[in-house]
Amino acid sequence: MSFVPGQPVTAIVQRIEIQKLRQGENLILGFSIGGGIDQDPGQNPFSEDKSDKGIYVTRITPGGPAEVAGLKMGDKIMQVNGWDMTMVTHDQARKKLTKRKEDVVRLLITRKSLEETVKQSMGCHPKQ
Amino acid sequence: MPAEVKQEQSPSNATPLAMMQEPQEVVEETVTIEEDPGTPTSHVSVVTSDDGTTRRTETKDMSTNVKVTKMVKTVTTRTVRQVPLGPDGLPLPEGSSPLSSYTDSIDRRYMKNGGERFITPQATSTLTRGYNNSYNDSYGETPESQYIRHYGLHDGYADLTDNYGSLSRGINFRPPRYPYMPNSYRPENSYTLPIRKDDYGHVAQPQVPMGSSTVDLNRSQPERFQPEPYGLEDDRRSLGPEEEEPYELEPDYSTASRRTLPGTNRSRTHREPLRDMHRVRGYPDDPIEAELIDERHPYIHGMYSAPLAQPERGSMASLDRMAGRRSPSIDSIRKDPRWRDPDLPEVIAMLGHPIDPVKSNAAAYLQHLCYENDKIKKDVRQLKGIPVLVGLLDHPKSEVHRKACGALRNISYGKDNENKVAIKNCDGIPALIRLLRKTNDMEVRELITGTLWNLSSYEPLKMVIINHGLQTMTNEVIIPHSGWEHEPNEDSKPRDAEWTTVFKNTSGCLRNVSSDGAEARRRLRECDGLVDALLHALQSAVGKKDMDNKSVENCVCIMRNLSYHVHKEVPGAERFQDPSALQAPGSAGPQRKKKDDAGCFGGKKAKEEWFNQGRKNGENDKNYDTLDLPKRTEPSKGFELLYQPEVVRLYLSLLTESQNYNTLEAAAGALQNLSAGQWTWSNYIRATVRKEKGLPILVELLRSDSDKVVRAVAIALRNLSIDRRNKDLIGSYAMRDLVSNLPSGQQRPAKNLEEDTVVAILNTIHEIVTDSSENARSLIQAQAIEKLVAINRTSQSARETKAASHVLQTVWSYKELRNALAKDGWNKSHFQPTVTATPKTTKNGKPGYDDTTLPLMEKNQDGYSTIDQRDKDCKYKTDDGSADLTEREPLKNDTNRKHYIRSNRPAVSLVDACDVKPQPVDSWV
Repeated sequence: MSFVPGQPVTAIVQRIEIQKLRQGENLILGFSIGGGIDQDPGQNPFSEDKSDKGIYVTRITPGGPAEVAGLKMGDKIMQVNGWDMTMVTHDQARKKLTKRKEDVVRLLITRKSLEETVKQSMGCHPKQ
Repeated sequence: MPAEVKQEQSPSNATPLAMMQEPQEVVEETVTIEEDPGTPTSHVSVVTSDDGTTRRTETKDMSTNVKVTKMVKTVTTRTVRQVPLGPDGLPLPEGSSPLSSYTDSIDRRYMKNGGERFITPQATSTLTRGYNNSYNDSYGETPESQYIRHYGLHDGYADLTDNYGSLSRGINFRPPRYPYMPNSYRPENSYTLPIRKDDYGHVAQPQVPMGSSTVDLNRSQPERFQPEPYGLEDDRRSLGPEEEEPYELEPDYSTASRRTLPGTNRSRTHREPLRDMHRVRGYPDDPIEAELIDERHPYIHGMYSAPLAQPERGSMASLDRMAGRRSPSIDSIRKDPRWRDPDLPEVIAMLGHPIDPVKSNAAAYLQHLCYENDKIKKDVRQLKGIPVLVGLLDHPKSEVHRKACGALRNISYGKDNENKVAIKNCDGIPALIRLLRKTNDMEVRELITGTLWNLSSYEPLKMVIINHGLQTMTNEVIIPHSGWEHEPNEDSKPRDAEWTTVFKNTSGCLRNVSSDGAEARRRLRECDGLVDALLHALQSAVGKKDMDNKSVENCVCIMRNLSYHVHKEVPGAERFQDPSALQAPGSAGPQRKKKDDAGCFGGKKAKEEWFNQGRKNGENDKNYDTLDLPKRTEPSKGFELLYQPEVVRLYLSLLTESQNYNTLEAAAGALQNLSAGQWTWSNYIRATVRKEKGLPILVELLRSDSDKVVRAVAIALRNLSIDRRNKDLIGSYAMRDLVSNLPSGQQRPAKNLEEDTVVAILNTIHEIVTDSSENARSLIQAQAIEKLVAINRTSQSARETKAASHVLQTVWSYKELRNALAKDGWNKSHFQPTVTATPKTTKNGKPGYDDTTLPLMEKNQDGYSTIDQRDKDCKYKTDDGSADLTEREPLKNDTNRKHYIRSNRPAVSLVDACDVKPQPVDSWV
């Protein structure tokens, strides 16, 4: 999903709730993220628009909590527990995801296939 | 290598028009002489491959380069002489009425442009972005608090409608308020607009109303193709090639990313005209001129039997006007047969006339006569005019020394080095420097520095200029204009560099002299404040994103030249020599330096040696990454700044942003120089380039259209690959771009690179595949063998053939690859120096295909580590994960891999995993 600065952002998002897995000291979500406003967006292999500085899911641990919850590689994370993730630094995103006191994270994510599904079911498509 | 030192004489021109009043003086010749005297950079730092052949080639190479005087470009416009005439027939100062109509149209156009600019989408977009994403606007400040504020309102998911439709809530992706958005922008815009307008108000606007700034206007308009209007402007344009570049870039400015440029550009050019304007305005009142006019009559009549041309009131300039554009003017045909021009001896005699205005007018006239006329310059020299002019430099009256300086500038310009020598022989250089110290007149300073720039293009004068003028030029021009301050005042903000003509000329002069061998480099490095100021100027250029101009180019070239051989020449360098490197005889010793003085050829042997050592070191160079940079007790200054790892970022910014090929080449050359050699700092530099994600930037530039940029980058990559990890990365991700620059068979690629460049690329490839069968495999997969064999067999160039043959031999030496090679239809004969068989034109892609991904897959198997797996000291596998290698991920699946190849984008992959820690690219959560 990309947006043109100045244009309204429209995205079809899905909620995903991930129950963190406790491994000893650590709480594990089982995926990795890339991107952020402090990163070079041109190197993001998942974004359609190479200027998109959003946070993307780059890898999923097989069988991990994220996979179980339905997160997919390449998903763009829009929000984490209500916090916007479209304009944050990489580290800010990481911190939001890894708060120790939270056992559950609720994500809003968007992915291309969602949009297509919606398009088909609606017979129209959202303005990009 | 061309990279090095370009001497440009052209600069001189810049000054020229200054004298508008005497329209005739056309000052300006723009010649760009590029001499690669030193060649130091490129080759020196370059490490040649080990065998004799290569070495020989390079030597040859260097020697050819050394003295080459490349193109002489003359960009000149004579139009200058057409001076606008007022109703009374007087040449007008630029500002006056005749221009008005012209100005008008400019004005209109200008406004239009300005107007457009205001409504560029970008302007809007920036605004909106902040405005629109209500969450976003806050990040600049403390993120946390902002989050709280916003989200307090939105309450997490509840408010999704605002920005995101949510599946779970039904699909509601078009929040109601969007339709209103456009309107809401407006007010925003109008808020900002005034600000921008303001900017223009300061910068551009003034130009319009003032007729005097026509020159300027003209400059900022891309249209330099109007030959006729007012000579002045034309002339301005012709001043130097450097002036042209900005124009060519202009179109770019309109694009979003460069939004700020036009403004800065404008403001920059703007400055000069103001000066001119001032001068011009002052002119009519100038007492000297007034006096002059009155004096001339008696003098002329009294002295010469033949009546001399009696210039119309105003100046001799007008004479010329009558004579037509290109008349050499001395013997120009006059309409009125009663008048004639003074002949050259007469003019020179007038230089010694007791009345000052006569002197100054004579000098001005000389300047005019000499413009673009080598014959006259020579005559002036033979008539002993030069010492007289030099003598006038010390004249107390500014009108006189200014004109003398103008004449000298024109005389010093051109290929005829005799003229330059003549100026030097009568102590012209110290006189110029004296005047530079004395005068505050900008125009005079421009003329002085322009003259010095011209003089500096002649090899034997370089050291003289250094001896007399280095510190003065640095103190008087470079430091003040760079914005750098010795002891920054706490209250004062750091100042930006000003790209004045004086700075451009002076930096051009220093650029030329910086190529005069080791001693020159030493003097410049040790010149108090010079390196600091240059660095500051460049940083300010990067900060302002104003990197395409000539001044920046000059600065980078100086930096590159000074970076050459730092590892041998800098005081105390021995302390930093890598202890693991065998001390090659003289590798850091003084004798060595001597040799290098001889024009940088000397070093072949030793170079080779350290190169080989570098290779050995490469094996255990994991240490390098764990090496911490030495702690500094105090900030580094002076020449130390040249090789501090901090400069890497500067050069990389230039490489990313600049559109100027010379700047790109010089920045790549600087990295090349810094990454050469076997001392602690070059180890740091090599690692820093990787850490700063510089490898992808360099690889990208392999696709440049400019031959010399490709060459400098290729050689830089070669030096960088002394670092083992760099070698791995470059081998994996740069190979295709390297190979694609090679000619295939008979027909050369579109770029048609020069032999030097092809050889440089082959040598780089050779270096990369040496000691790395992985890289050799990448080479095979990049379909390089076919090209290499073709070069080996058919190239007309012995150097190319040799270089290709080395690569082939190295590849063949990996026994484990022979199978794959055989499958592609290659056999031993293809890899031998003398080719005996015709290569089958097998497409070697197929069997290789798996391999493309295979090695990476293998490495990837157990995690996300890739290339670095073998480096046991690499920390990324441990807990924190912040340094993990997502970047590699794409390589794991074919589509991404293909994408990478197709787009040729170096992708993330060139970033070394271990190095990303400070800025996690990818984090496990």
